[in-house]
Amino acid sequence: MKHKIIIVITVLLYSLCNYCQAQSINWKTLKDEDRHIVNLNLGIDYGIIYGIGYGYHLKTKLPVVLNAEFSIPSGNKLLDDYKTKVGVHAKLLEMNNFAVSVNVNGVLRRYENTLVRHLNLGSTANIMIGYYGPKWYVNGEFGFDKAIATHFKHKDAYKSNFPEVKDGWYEPTGGNVQYGMQVGYSFSKSDIFLKGGKTSAEDFKTSPTIPIYVQLGYNLKLK
Amino acid sequence: MRIDEPGNLVPKTVDQNSCLPSIVINGAKLHAETFGNPNDPIIFVLHGGPASDYRYLLNCKEFADNGYFVVFYDQRGTGLSQRFPRSYYTGIQTSFDDLNGVITHYRKSPTQKIFLLGHSWGAMLAGAYINQYPTAVNGAVLAEPGGLKWKDVDEYVKRSRKMDITGEALNNATYMDQFLTGKEDEHAILDYKYKLLASTGDENDNVGNEGLLPFWRPGFVLQDVYFNILKKENSDWTPHLKQFTTKILFIYSERNKPYGLDHAKQVSSAFPNVQLFETKGAGHDMLSFPTGWKNTHPTILDYFNTLK
Repeated sequence: MKHKIIIVITVLLYSLCNYCQAQSINWKTLKDEDRHIVNLNLGIDYGIIYGIGYGYHLKTKLPVVLNAEFSIPSGNKLLDDYKTKVGVHAKLLEMNNFAVSVNVNGVLRRYENTLVRHLNLGSTANIMIGYYGPKWYVNGEFGFDKAIATHFKHKDAYKSNFPEVKDGWYEPTGGNVQYGMQVGYSFSKSDIFLKGGKTSAEDFKTSPTIPIYVQLGYNLKLK
Repeated sequence: MRIDEPGNLVPKTVDQNSCLPSIVINGAKLHAETFGNPNDPIIFVLHGGPASDYRYLLNCKEFADNGYFVVFYDQRGTGLSQRFPRSYYTGIQTSFDDLNGVITHYRKSPTQKIFLLGHSWGAMLAGAYINQYPTAVNGAVLAEPGGLKWKDVDEYVKRSRKMDITGEALNNATYMDQFLTGKEDEHAILDYKYKLLASTGDENDNVGNEGLLPFWRPGFVLQDVYFNILKKENSDWTPHLKQFTTKILFIYSERNKPYGLDHAKQVSSAFPNVQLFETKGAGHDMLSFPTGWKNTHPTILDYFNTLK
C-alpha cells in the first residue's frame, strides 16, 4: 500500500511536470531479486548526449521501476546545459513474451548560450509495446515531451539590443514527439540496447534542427 | 507570460507599434529611415540575411554627411518590418518589387542618381536586381555576397558554418529545440529561436568579426523560404550582368577565411567592370565594426564620388 501511494504521487507529480525518452528495460530478464539498475548511455538527442541513470525495482505485484536520469550534451562548458528526469516505468500488460509498458517522468533542464539562460520544467510520457525474450528484446515506442514552463533570463548581449525583453516564466514553451524502436541484448546481469527514431514538434509539421534521436545504452542489474 | 505575445521576446514590428518609422510598399508596412538631403544622389542600403535587419549597417548613414541621401529599410518580413506568412513568398521577385517600390517612393526625379550598397544577402540582392534591371541603377557596392549563383552560395555557406560535432557551438544551436517549439504561423517564437540558433558562440569567429552584431529581429520565415527557393530553382542571377558596364565596387574582407580572394574573384567575374577591394583587419561584417568601417568607408566614398 505504501508503495502504491508513492507510485501514485510520483506519477501525478511528474505528469504535471515533464516527459521524454524512456528508460530501456528487458522486462523478461528483470528478476524479482534485481533491485537496482545502473545505466550508462550516449547518443543523439537535440545534440550529442552523455547520460547516466539509476532505477529502483519496487517489490510490487505490478513490475515498477522508479528511475532517475541525468544527461549533458557535449561541449566545453560542463553544466551550462543539462537534463534531469525522475519518474516511474511500469509494465502494464503482458501476454506471453509481449508486453506494454509506460514511462512517465518529470523533467528539469537547463540551456545557456551567449544570449540567454533557460530553465525548464516539463514532463515526458512514453509507451512501449514489444517482444521481450530471455536474450533479446525489441519494441516500438512513442513519446511526448512537453516543456510546460520555462524561466528566461537574458544576458546583456541580448538586452543591449532589446532592453524591453521580458525575463521570467513563460508557459507553455514547447512540445515534441518522438517515435521509434528499441532493440536490446541481455546477458548475465546486463542489457545492451540501441534505440532510435524520429523527433518532430507536437504539430507534426515542423522538426527540430536534429530531427532524429539515437541512444546506445548499457544496464547493469544488481540485487 | 506567453512566448508568442508581441514585444515579449522580440520587438514589436511597425504594424504592432505605430511609433516606429515606416513606409507602405506594395501593401507591406516596412520599417525605414532616411538620412541626408532627399534631393541628393540616393544610396539604398540593403541588409544581409535575408533574415537580418539594417541596424548593423547604420554606420552607412555617414554618407549623408558627404552629399548623399541614405535610405535604410528592413526587407519584408525581417527586422521591424511587417511579417508575412510562409505561403506569401513564391520567389525573389518579391524583393525586386519591394526595392522598385522603395526606389520609387524616395526618388524625386528620373535624373536623381541611384546607388545600391548591399552587404552579404543584400549584395546578392543588389546583384540579382541589376541582372533583372540592368539600367535601373547608377552604381553598386557589393560587400561579400555569398554568390550570384546558388552553387557559389551553397559552397560558401557550407565553408562558413563548419562546426565541430562535439563542440559547444553545435550544442548551443540544437539543444534549445526541446525548450522552444513554434508552429508555422508562430512568427515571434520562430524568429526568437532563429536568433538563438544563429548565436552559437563561434558565429563571429568563423567569419572573422570583432564581436556581436547589433540586431532588432531576424525574420526566420523569409530566411527559410528564400533559401529553399534558391536551392530549388538553382538560382543564377548572372546572365544579364554583362549589360551593366558601370564599374561596381566589390568588397571582401581579410579575416573572413571562408570567403577570400578566390571566392571574391569567382563571384565578381559575372560583372564586366569590377573594382575588387580587400578590407584589412576586418571580417564579414566589415561595415559594422570600427576597424572595418575605418578601412572601408573611404574607398566606398571615393567610388560613389566618381559616379556622382
